[in-house]
Amino acid sequence: MTERLADFYGTYQSTIGYIGLNGLLALSVYTTLSCGQLALGNAGFMAIGAYAAVLLTMEAHVPFGLSLLAGTLLPALVAVPLGLPVLRLKGVFLAIATIGFGEVVRLSLVNSEAVNGAQGIVAIPQKTSVGLIFAALALAVALLGRLKGSKWGFALEAIREDEPAARTMGIPTGAYKLSMLALGAALAGLAGALEAHFTFMVAPNGFGFDRVVDMLVFAVVGGSGVVFGPVVGAAFLTLLPEVLREVAPMVGIEPGPLRMAVDGLVLLLVILFLPNGIVSLAGVIRARRSGRRPAGGTESTR
Amino acid sequence: MRNHRLAPGLPRTFAAGLALVSLWPAGAFAETVVKIGAALSMTGPAAVYGATQKAGILAAVEDVNRSGKLPGIKLEAVIEDDASTKEQGIAVYQRFINRDKVSAIIGPTLSNTATAADPLAQAAKVPVVAVSNTAPVGITDIGTYIWRVSLTEGQVIPGALARLKAKLSFKKAALFYGNDDAFTQAGYKVMKGALDAAGIPIAGTQTFAKPDKDYSAQLTALKALSPDILLVSALAENAAGIVAQARQLGWNVPIMGGNGFNSPAFIKNAGPAAEGVYVGTAWNKVSTDAANQAFLAGMKGRGVDPDQFCAQAYTGILVIAEGIRLSGGKGSREDVRNGFLKLKNLTTPLGPFSFTKDRDGEHPSSVQIVRDGKFQIVP
Amino acid sequence: MGQQIINGLFLGSIYALFALGYTLVFGVLDILNLAHAAIFMLATFAALALVTTFHFPIFLALPAAVLFAGLVGIVLERVAFRPLRSRADSNISGLISSLAVATILEAVALEVWGPNISRFPIGTLSDARVAIPGGVVSRLQLTIIAVAVVMFLALTWLLTRTRIGREVRAVAESPRAARVLGVNVDRVIASTFFLSSALGGAAGVLFGLAFNSISPDMGRSVELKGLAVIILGGMGSMPGAVLAGFLLGLTEVFVVAHLGASWRDAVSFAGLFLILVLRPQGLLGAAGAREA
Repeated sequence: MTERLADFYGTYQSTIGYIGLNGLLALSVYTTLSCGQLALGNAGFMAIGAYAAVLLTMEAHVPFGLSLLAGTLLPALVAVPLGLPVLRLKGVFLAIATIGFGEVVRLSLVNSEAVNGAQGIVAIPQKTSVGLIFAALALAVALLGRLKGSKWGFALEAIREDEPAARTMGIPTGAYKLSMLALGAALAGLAGALEAHFTFMVAPNGFGFDRVVDMLVFAVVGGSGVVFGPVVGAAFLTLLPEVLREVAPMVGIEPGPLRMAVDGLVLLLVILFLPNGIVSLAGVIRARRSGRRPAGGTESTR
Repeated sequence: MRNHRLAPGLPRTFAAGLALVSLWPAGAFAETVVKIGAALSMTGPAAVYGATQKAGILAAVEDVNRSGKLPGIKLEAVIEDDASTKEQGIAVYQRFINRDKVSAIIGPTLSNTATAADPLAQAAKVPVVAVSNTAPVGITDIGTYIWRVSLTEGQVIPGALARLKAKLSFKKAALFYGNDDAFTQAGYKVMKGALDAAGIPIAGTQTFAKPDKDYSAQLTALKALSPDILLVSALAENAAGIVAQARQLGWNVPIMGGNGFNSPAFIKNAGPAAEGVYVGTAWNKVSTDAANQAFLAGMKGRGVDPDQFCAQAYTGILVIAEGIRLSGGKGSREDVRNGFLKLKNLTTPLGPFSFTKDRDGEHPSSVQIVRDGKFQIVP
Repeated sequence: MGQQIINGLFLGSIYALFALGYTLVFGVLDILNLAHAAIFMLATFAALALVTTFHFPIFLALPAAVLFAGLVGIVLERVAFRPLRSRADSNISGLISSLAVATILEAVALEVWGPNISRFPIGTLSDARVAIPGGVVSRLQLTIIAVAVVMFLALTWLLTRTRIGREVRAVAESPRAARVLGVNVDRVIASTFFLSSALGGAAGVLFGLAFNSISPDMGRSVELKGLAVIILGGMGSMPGAVLAGFLLGLTEVFVVAHLGASWRDAVSFAGLFLILVLRPQGLLGAAGAREA
């Protein structure tokens, strides 16, 4: 029995770890979404955090805790001068400007001989444990949960609902948006630093456009109206390929493109039928049972 | 790990009857199934390699099982998709190690993924055979359980360049490579090192990115420097476009490519522009070696036109089978590795194959030229 | 230098073609359709199948594939966008549903045609070279630039001179007002998707002909650049998209020639970033629309 349990854990250890890492990444997008901003520079912030931490660990031989701290703070520091100009943009334009930032970070790493370009840095000592990842995630959830209930949270909500109105009410919208961007950058950087010390290597290709789209998908699919929504979304979508690995052979679907199609189909169904994310599933079922139409079909899912 | 193919409760007469019609009566009763995991990129950017690797692995497993080389042992390939990402590559490895309990792993398609996943196999003492990783560092130096069939560009390019230098006597070269990919970047470094070592000046260097399809700006810039040879480090999906566009610009400089060019798709997609292109390669497709001819015929029978990645994956399985045979064991993880320590001059489609003391592959490499729409050996 | 200008113009025409359809949907619905690149790819495979399997001449296969792409666009709108339209966050959820459709389409293409790079048969279109002052250009390239210009003119005519064009512009201005004025908004949006996807399909086929490199992930090479072009050109501005396409093409070529190609994309994205910050309305867009 214990042997089978050990096998099970051995098999899914990295997947479990990635559920936590992806949860952190989803939350890093959630921070800006919670004040209505679609900022997608997080793959870039993640890269900065990962490379900073790895270089500190491997070149400067500083204690791991210090590397993590630097990997968390540095992206936040970068976010401030970045945010000052770009946060004046709204909607998709903010998204594209920040995607541009992320690409510039990735391409700079590709072009940097000092960090080995596309081959990346390998043989990084494994210092991140699954427990540490979940401790970080719990901390992030607790922090963001407290924020939501506070005066600060109400200000964010006001900005999300109607930014000009919030401004006329005397809320310093710029400062709030900037601090949320910095917080998101810190979370992404922390996830990057943890991941790099979890998977033995770090390379620029891990921080492309695809990565940040994944983060956004985690957050929205889970439900970005509540703090644990993005975490649930990350868990669901991280598990999906592994569940398909298990289930697909039973229905005769070989590894390969068809599984990718099922992956896309599940994503489409969730976004179409669960407007408030997976976390609203329980509510939807309850409403169906009691014969009412589910609430929220036209509500914001943000 | 040991599964008996027939349930013990099966009626004796039926089992005996089966044994009679079976081609391998000895194996039918107590055949040990040895699982080999293969983490291949079947979706994502590296899908083009995963597909041909899968074909090679399945063919090799079939051929080995049919050959009777491993009496009482049946190889079984467990193939999983890593989606060209390290996240899923690691997950697949953990599955192979802890759940499928494989005896050996054919390493992930991409070097980047290998540097993330191979340390897990090393820690669990599961032998890994890399069949397409060519990064010079971060693969076999992970530890004593990581072995490699694929030659690094460092084992192919310098020799090929020396052969060409003797033939064409060029004075200055230009370099063109994909800088956002671990494989092509490593290839570039080798080319540059080989040129430096041979004292050939480099007139200019340009780069492209993997998703690029238009290379004419870079090629025009390089053409203006009028080098005597153009060295290209590119994957198969870029190689054809680069050569076609160079010729489209009216630039008839000799071109030499690395491993990425060694694919039937290159000739097909570049069309007449492929004529005269030199390819330094780990697998000599036109080798008249019996093993290679048998491999080609076998793949043709399966409807596959093999490329280098297919041949290397096929060889990966042959190497593992030979490891098991040499160990004299039943195909445990240790058996495979112990066998590898003794493996020497194995007959494979790649030529006589041995491991170096650093667990890298060693076999002849060659220079080819495209003539009349076919790869031909440069004498 | 002459050759580099030709290179830049040709690359620019490809970007412009891709971006025309992209910006049309963006201008009308304020939604980024991430499946545009997938339709671009699917149309190319459709044309390839027509040419290789059914031996269509390319001048028939091209319009057939374009029509097919348009129809896929209508289905896409029905499946991935219409159900979300009433939601307050339709621009984010639409982004994700279109991404899901893109994933499915790419997976289907991967399953049907495999991951290998394919090409149109040699000689589908003449690639004979024509010498011009300062360089060479192929007939194929000239054809593609000509098609890009013709499509741009036809689209401009359609949008400014026809009834459906006026309705499209009315919906872009304000769907609610358009509805009040008696415009069938659902039909107009479906037509917009048809047009947009048809243009994307045409771009794909021409791209496939130009670069001989057709694969399920071929859309990736223009996806982000297309985004840059529509931002640069100004939201929903057709002339802006064309101008920005050519500008981006020329800039890239210039960077390659003078700084080296490794900085090309970094310069492009940094430029995009600067344009957004300094002139958020784009080159030819109306001011004020993008700032909070």
